[in-house]
Amino acid sequence: MTSLHGPISNETLWYTSRATGVVSMVLLTLIMILGMVITSMRRPYSSAPTVVMALHRWLSLGTLGFLALHVGTAIAETYVKIDLIAAVVPMASEFQPKLVGLGAVALDLLLALIISSLLRHRLPERGWKLIHFTSYLMWPAALLHGFQLGTSDEPLLRAVTVACAVLGVMVLGWRLFATTHDRRRREDVDAGQWR
Amino acid sequence: MAGSPAQQRIKVDRIACTAHGFCAQVAADLFDLDDFGYPIVRHEHVGRHMSSAKRAVKLCPARALYLPSTE
Amino acid sequence: MRAHEQALVHALHAARLTGRGGAGFPTSIKVAALFDNEADLIVNACDGERGAAKDAWVIEYHLREVAEVVELLCAGGSRTVWWAAHRGSSTAGRLAEVGLPLLEVPHRYVSSEGSALVNLARTGVAKPLELRQPTADGGRDSRGRRIEPTVVFNAETLWRIAQIMQYGPAWFAAQGTDEEPGPRLVSLSGYLSHPTVCQTQTGVPLSELFATAGGLPSDAQMILIGGLGGGFVPAIHVPGLAWGRQWLAPLGAGVGSGVVEVLDPRLCPLVFMGQLIDYAAGESAGQCGPCMFGLPALADQWYRLVVQRNSPEEFEHLWHGVQQRLDLLRGRGACHYPDGVSGWVRSGLSVFAEHIHAHNQGFCPTGGHQPARR
Repeated sequence: MTSLHGPISNETLWYTSRATGVVSMVLLTLIMILGMVITSMRRPYSSAPTVVMALHRWLSLGTLGFLALHVGTAIAETYVKIDLIAAVVPMASEFQPKLVGLGAVALDLLLALIISSLLRHRLPERGWKLIHFTSYLMWPAALLHGFQLGTSDEPLLRAVTVACAVLGVMVLGWRLFATTHDRRRREDVDAGQWR
Repeated sequence: MAGSPAQQRIKVDRIACTAHGFCAQVAADLFDLDDFGYPIVRHEHVGRHMSSAKRAVKLCPARALYLPSTE
Repeated sequence: MRAHEQALVHALHAARLTGRGGAGFPTSIKVAALFDNEADLIVNACDGERGAAKDAWVIEYHLREVAEVVELLCAGGSRTVWWAAHRGSSTAGRLAEVGLPLLEVPHRYVSSEGSALVNLARTGVAKPLELRQPTADGGRDSRGRRIEPTVVFNAETLWRIAQIMQYGPAWFAAQGTDEEPGPRLVSLSGYLSHPTVCQTQTGVPLSELFATAGGLPSDAQMILIGGLGGGFVPAIHVPGLAWGRQWLAPLGAGVGSGVVEVLDPRLCPLVFMGQLIDYAAGESAGQCGPCMFGLPALADQWYRLVVQRNSPEEFEHLWHGVQQRLDLLRGRGACHYPDGVSGWVRSGLSVFAEHIHAHNQGFCPTGGHQPARR
């Protein structure tokens, strides 16, 4: 039986795909959290904001690397049938179309996020913001994709996925209620009659 | 659209600015912060600080910095 | 531009008419921009400055002429016009009565500013815009919303256009000084027997202006020229002053939007200033950090400087703090509101320096009693 992947076994490929998938999911959770910190926190006199921003940007690019491996090994491995189209077009997979599709959605959105951010100054700000808000769709899509497809027989991976979900939701809850001095003052003034 | 460095100014969109403080970090030669975290522009004409200026414009999370056209 | 439009721009250029709303921008350029950009038009009849009454006067007595000019500028209805006046004002009532398209402006100090009126007309919020380019050219606000080309003219400016069309540019330019030509309206208010709107021009002695309001009372000590963004002028200087930049600038004042207020000598001027600073802090549009935080901070610092007894060291420290704060208010907002307040406070610190020192020693030259803590 010939295979596309030569001496590398299907098992290794499947293992690599799951590992890089989990790493990507952890990274995406971290990136999203860092983004929420940028929005809701103000420490203008320290160097922390620049560190947070640098991590937010660099980890995003780094995640692409892990995702490339994740997708590549999933395609190469022949145990289940997933081709390149299925990786980017939702529902195009023969194997588990909905769940693989969630991964495709997450990947598409991540690509849109990164490209729109690299080209931010050529886009209208509202367009950039809208695309950036889809990160709140991308992350749960990635989580669900990972939880259902890659962790069923690995309690450790399952725990990591759940931990990411819990952490992300907690920080999201904080982000929804956290306020900055700037935001509070604007809201206070807006309460007056301006129309 | 940036013009010649000698005449190029850097401007803060004061309505968009929400005191992230990135400008003072990445372009300390051009910006200080007041006691509420909002930028004080040290040199409105960027001159030899053009690369700092461009970096600050690019990285401001609120996109509150701009280099107005010199035409 | 069509021929008659060009003719009008040339006439205004020859007359050297400048905006009567305070900024003093050459009207010929604004009108040319209106034509070139096919912009919409807003008539500013708000009397937004403290003590202003001249816009209401123009609408009361010269509405027909203004309306004719607006008709001409709007190319027979192809452009939109708004007539802006504060909600519930007599001006608003008059405009509505006549059936003109009214732009009702909320009772906020900055809401009658040019770009705030444009913002109100375009997006429904009467707050100044960050102007990356003039509103005449159109552009985007800070949130990226498109703002169509709009030009704002003060009501008096439009009346002057009508007069120039009727009497000619030479008639207009012959009045007033060479530097600031043309007839002007001045609102006189405050400690006067007959507050009024006076028809005058630059070069006229201030005492003649006051004569139209019943004369400057002999016990008057201080006048405020230019309202909240203006400058204080001690009454003793009045005999030597005429209306116009060359007389007023050395004293830190200007012609501006034509507002002169005589302060009540029975009220401690520092209490007067404190009340106005509190008012000013509350009138920030809340869009720019340096203003929305800086003005309340200024109010706090002012009170500590003038309404309590300070040792010389404390005073020195507080004084420098206030100076620093005033510097931080300049050129760091989307509009010039904080700049105006800063200049006005600086003027007050200068003319009331002795009074401030008296307060710091525990007595008030006006009331004779101890200034109280806020």
